[in-house]
Amino acid sequence: MGRSPTTAPAQAPFDAAITGVGMVTAAGVGVERSWERIRAGAGTAATDVPALAGIPADFACAVTDFDPSGLIERKQMWRLDRSSQLALVAAHEAVTDSGLDRDSWDATRVGVVLGNGIGGAATWEKQHKVLLERGARKVSPLLVPMLSPNMCAGYVSMMFGARGPSLVTATACASGTTAVGTARELLRSGACDVVITGGTEAPLVPSLITGFGQMRALADRRDDLSATSRPFDADRDGFVPAEGAAVLVLERAEDARARGATIRAMVSGYGASADAFHATAPDPDGGGAELAVRAALRDAGVGPGEVDHVNAHGTATVLNDATEARMIRRVLGERPAVTSVKGVVGHSLAAAGAIEAVVTALSLQEGHIPPTANLESLDPELELDMVFKAGRDLRAEVAVSNSFGFGGQNAVLLFTRA
Amino acid sequence: MEDIYQRLLELLTSTFGLDPESIEPTSTLSALELDSLALVELSVAAQEEFDVPLEDSDLGPESTVGQAAELISGKLATV
Repeated sequence: MGRSPTTAPAQAPFDAAITGVGMVTAAGVGVERSWERIRAGAGTAATDVPALAGIPADFACAVTDFDPSGLIERKQMWRLDRSSQLALVAAHEAVTDSGLDRDSWDATRVGVVLGNGIGGAATWEKQHKVLLERGARKVSPLLVPMLSPNMCAGYVSMMFGARGPSLVTATACASGTTAVGTARELLRSGACDVVITGGTEAPLVPSLITGFGQMRALADRRDDLSATSRPFDADRDGFVPAEGAAVLVLERAEDARARGATIRAMVSGYGASADAFHATAPDPDGGGAELAVRAALRDAGVGPGEVDHVNAHGTATVLNDATEARMIRRVLGERPAVTSVKGVVGHSLAAAGAIEAVVTALSLQEGHIPPTANLESLDPELELDMVFKAGRDLRAEVAVSNSFGFGGQNAVLLFTRA
Repeated sequence: MEDIYQRLLELLTSTFGLDPESIEPTSTLSALELDSLALVELSVAAQEEFDVPLEDSDLGPESTVGQAAELISGKLATV
């Protein structure tokens, strides 16, 4: 991979090797099933989601056929909100995939960094109802440990006996990306030898999804969900909410090579920034997002003209996709092949960036970019080389994955082929 | 009394995912790995199931399942 001399990195380049991946999405439980459906560009949005019964926006990309009882002891299950259950299943898959285990690492140097936004939303809603309808004495003592957003990382640490730093990052829809970037820093600083990182979210509860609906952020095609959401389409009209989790195992590249691990891709750069503009609307110039992309390029020592592929934030809201497309074209030019997986798996908020990190790593490893599902007619104002209708074989060397959160919080990862 | 014990057994298995085979009348709640939060959860669930008032002090880690059934049975008799 070329390191452009004109973009001197702030520090020496640092590659974190992705040696394990795990994924639980509406496209399937497990990396293989999820990736197959993402490659096929087959959407997962459905109406009449039981968890959302009774509200107008009762559609989502929900994880079905999810049975964690094989991995999580039944006597532990009642203590775990769904957000933690999703994280544990993805983490177990990722650690198994890495070939690491408790006997092969120094537990005090194994960290856990997960993105989470909402915490135990279902637990909070349920217990609030108990309080109002049946009184304080009927409220579960598990309410606090089940709803706290940091607990997903705490439980992953417990599952593996990992005693290094354990934390959750919260940058709304960028949380998963922020987590992976932060995990890489823990390796670079020498604080950890292994970091289990990613994101999880289980936000499909009536109050929260109604809130997104009232923001007019959700797709409005209840009768045409098979073609929704549609990132970068001229007729895009909002996102479809989703749940899910994805986890990656990161190690220093030299450590991974020394033990002969299969490296799916490298995380070679990370950049973060703030719009400092508005609570929910993106800076219309994309200036904040641009700062994060440029920081990731600088961190990796890669020039903007070297980026082959962008895994876009691509939520399918009118504002995000327009702003993001302009920013990509301005900063990276017309070269990168751009895709968004949110047409298939919806928008899982804090998990989204982690899911997209796994997808970007697989795209580099396999030399294949999955299509943007449901994109029929590209918005002519966007002028991007979108991958749509079918996936594209592309031996990309450098890929960028964007995530932009409410609060104007932006996070960008730069991946390179292993 | 037998009926109360069976219902309590069912409550322990459904609420906490315990294996019914692992529960004896002489099993203490701590031996069933119910920690302090689980004891409160059990108290909440038992009050709901049997419609009797229970105090925090009624069910401790060293209470056995048999004692708990007797306690609930006694409270039901006085309700």
